[in-house]
Amino acid sequence: MTDTQWPRYIVFQQAKIEEPHQYAGSVHAPDAEMALMNARDVFVRRPACVSLWVVPAGVIFAKTAEELTENPALLDGVEDQAKAPTQYHVFQKATHKGTYGHVGDVTAESAGEAFKQAFATVAQCSAAAWWVFTVEAVTQSTPEDIEALFQPATSKPFRDQAFYHTVAAMHTASRQIRTQTQDTNIDER
Amino acid sequence: MYGATVEPVEDARSDEPRLIAFEARIAKGEKIEPGDWMPEEYRRQLIRMISQHAHSEIVGMLPEGAFITRAPNLQRKMILLAKVQDEAGHGQYLYHAAETLGATREEMIDALLSGKAKYSSIFNYPTLSWADMGAIGWLVDGAAILNQSMLAKCSYGPYSRAMIRICAEENFHKRQGQDIVITLARGTPEQKAMMQDSLNRWWWPTLMMFGPHDSDSPNSGVLIRWGIKTKTNDELRQMFINQMVPDLRTLGLTLPDPDLRYDSESGNWITGKIDWDEFWRVVKGDGPCNAERMEARQKAHEDGLWVREALASYAEKYEQGNL
Repeated sequence: MTDTQWPRYIVFQQAKIEEPHQYAGSVHAPDAEMALMNARDVFVRRPACVSLWVVPAGVIFAKTAEELTENPALLDGVEDQAKAPTQYHVFQKATHKGTYGHVGDVTAESAGEAFKQAFATVAQCSAAAWWVFTVEAVTQSTPEDIEALFQPATSKPFRDQAFYHTVAAMHTASRQIRTQTQDTNIDER
Repeated sequence: MYGATVEPVEDARSDEPRLIAFEARIAKGEKIEPGDWMPEEYRRQLIRMISQHAHSEIVGMLPEGAFITRAPNLQRKMILLAKVQDEAGHGQYLYHAAETLGATREEMIDALLSGKAKYSSIFNYPTLSWADMGAIGWLVDGAAILNQSMLAKCSYGPYSRAMIRICAEENFHKRQGQDIVITLARGTPEQKAMMQDSLNRWWWPTLMMFGPHDSDSPNSGVLIRWGIKTKTNDELRQMFINQMVPDLRTLGLTLPDPDLRYDSESGNWITGKIDWDEFWRVVKGDGPCNAERMEARQKAHEDGLWVREALASYAEKYEQGNL
């Protein structure tokens, strides 16, 4: 086996236009375009998606409440190259049971700065964990992709368990058994 | 089966204060997340379980995949195709969950292809007739759902979330299987005989999916204490038996177990003895299809090499601006 592992991309899925993008999982792919295709096949085989984002795992800056309590100075470190003011997406996980959802954007010159901006504006300090990454790190599906990528899922109702009337069929079967037993009893008499 | 073959666990007592805090979080029902401190043994057990589970989904495509071209009609074919595609997706969700613990996908796939990693022993049995699609869907996936519904509540966040997603899709798999069984069991005498033959072959291997008896399952204690499992192998197996026996009998099918009886005191259906020698033979590589399954996975990996190379080459050229 000669192949080595492809880069990992984090996948964000938006279920409805009025809902934020949410963290769905990750895929491996040689480039962002293939990552988007893999993400579609892995995470959007069922309906309820209007937009997909993929972001290289290595460019996401992550902080947890636990880390920041232990070391509040963590945000002062410069983790990424200082640059001209850049727009960052802010994702937040409200509780340990939830997942990361997009809460808004901030403009900052570094990831640390972006976290600070986020806490002053869109993010809640009481949440469990946060991610920031630059807007330009995202490769996303376009509105024109919706039909080709996400529509086919809606035309396969047989993938819903409600499609199968097995409960009713089992009732019918057990009614027939009861009837047969009664018949037998009558014959025996 | 995803928990059936576990090696003994050492008690991780080295990092006492952190361990106490960790166990307190689990006791409160909090989820442990990738960045959080966790005992090395917790990480090791989870990687083992999740990767085995992922491999089971991937190998699990093979027995049913063999019947896609033999489906009795187009509707059934589309359903089976979608189901097998789901299994591939489940494997991907699970590899992802294991990666959050520091395992690489490449390591895990290498372990599967080299025969080092285990997968559910049930997939080492052959599919011989269309009725087996019913038995796998209703029995095998039904058994898996019981295990997975438990794991959906497990203490590790990414595994729990993958399970919630998978259970929702598995319910479709179970229903379509039940639909096939009902159709055949209530069909012509030939169809009914085909279904009975299938049940005769799948019943016992399905009961083995839950793993050894609790008395022979040394890890259950630590897995339960850390909230990875919340029910024992025997508890889950009994739930399954109680669920399935009345339904199968209602359909006029006979369970291949002369010792099967209803115990009115406990409300349980009690089965005869499970053949654990058979179970261990299959787990250790000597089942009817172990070699065939491994060959199929290795061939798929080798056949896909040129695609992976082409994609990598495209990405490289694109990166360099040569396209």
